[in-house]
Amino acid sequence: MYGRKACQLVKEFATSEKEQLKPFNDDLFDQVIKECDSHNLGIQSSVRKMQDEGLDTQTTRNADFNGAVIHHLSLVRNKRCLMAYIYNRAVVIRSLRWKLGRVLPEEIVKRLSNSEKEYFKAYSGALDHYMNDINLDLTVDMVPPKDPYIQVRVLDDIGEVLLTDRSANLARYSMHFLKRTDAEPYISQGLMRELLN
Amino acid sequence: MTSSSSDPVDNFGTLSDVEPLKRAWRNEKAAPEILRFEEQLINRVSEQIQLMEETVDHFTEKGTDPLTVSLYQMDLDRTQFLLRSYLRIRLQKIEKCMFHVLNKTELYERLSEQEKIFVQRSAEDFKKHLDESVLLHLPDNYQSILKQFTASQEDKDGKEDGMVPEPPLDTFVVCKARDYIGPSEFQGNSNDSLTMDLPLEMERDDLSFIPYRRIQKLLDIGKVDLV
Repeated sequence: MYGRKACQLVKEFATSEKEQLKPFNDDLFDQVIKECDSHNLGIQSSVRKMQDEGLDTQTTRNADFNGAVIHHLSLVRNKRCLMAYIYNRAVVIRSLRWKLGRVLPEEIVKRLSNSEKEYFKAYSGALDHYMNDINLDLTVDMVPPKDPYIQVRVLDDIGEVLLTDRSANLARYSMHFLKRTDAEPYISQGLMRELLN
Repeated sequence: MTSSSSDPVDNFGTLSDVEPLKRAWRNEKAAPEILRFEEQLINRVSEQIQLMEETVDHFTEKGTDPLTVSLYQMDLDRTQFLLRSYLRIRLQKIEKCMFHVLNKTELYERLSEQEKIFVQRSAEDFKKHLDESVLLHLPDNYQSILKQFTASQEDKDGKEDGMVPEPPLDTFVVCKARDYIGPSEFQGNSNDSLTMDLPLEMERDDLSFIPYRRIQKLLDIGKVDLV
């Protein structure tokens, strides 16, 4: 049935966990593109047939015309599904820039298409440019601050780091009392955890 | 945020723009479309933040009582959060409707200079991404990013059969009147009989639940606030 594959594609995105990306489905995606091509051929052959029979394509409403309309509508529907798939993935990709920073972990990169990888870089660049312009890092301070300092536990060996007010040795499993703005990038990368009383 | 920001701030005498910033932030957060960039306010706030930072540094060097310093610091952090959050929300809205913002001069003019650069650049990047992934693989007539099909016509409402996401202006918002507002000041949808039938007025500080479109103008001139 026309449009089923495109629907599967959108469903695959819709059923994946929120803010999580499944691997880019090249196979299905290409099949839908192919389907679009065959719809286009369908339209053209119907129109040609009508012209050969000497009918006016604007006013005639015969079987060929209706066939062409169905091909056209299926194509448009496929296009919308393809766009929705890419668009919604792009929304997640943008949110990754905010959550994980400029460099994505290998297991996420693997799930992106080439164009998506390029897009992530481009988006990251545009955002950096903007933040440079206004001279303010917007990716920190994501939650309203209660206290300027927080207690954190280091989850991985980070080593000697220069913080805004001093340098600290962030060894694995050590606990620190840091400025929230210093700690946030590490927390969002999963290298630290905030300790709540 | 409420407890510490009203009185002590006045005593500190530096951040008198916190209330307007908070209002701008709340409005931006609750409105479905992008609002006018509060340029002067944001410039003032940025300057004040810088001043506060210097003050805090100065205190730290002088060895002032750590408690005092941390109070200043906390105040500073909260203001910075407001500022960052305000700019972030705007970026999110711009991203959501980038093609729409670029097409409508009225919306585009609401952005700050830096945001204008940002939206142009992101729209370019995103278009490239969509082109390469989908559009260039489709038959010629179907490659438009703005329309589903090249020859598709405008329907009877003058709306194009488009593919560009637009902000939902008919969504309901909660708003609070800052002054008395008479029935004539509300915008009615010319063809929407339902909203026209309801006479409306608001007393000062009244809370109302109302379609955004009807208070769009009032919000712009500062007669209502969103909450």
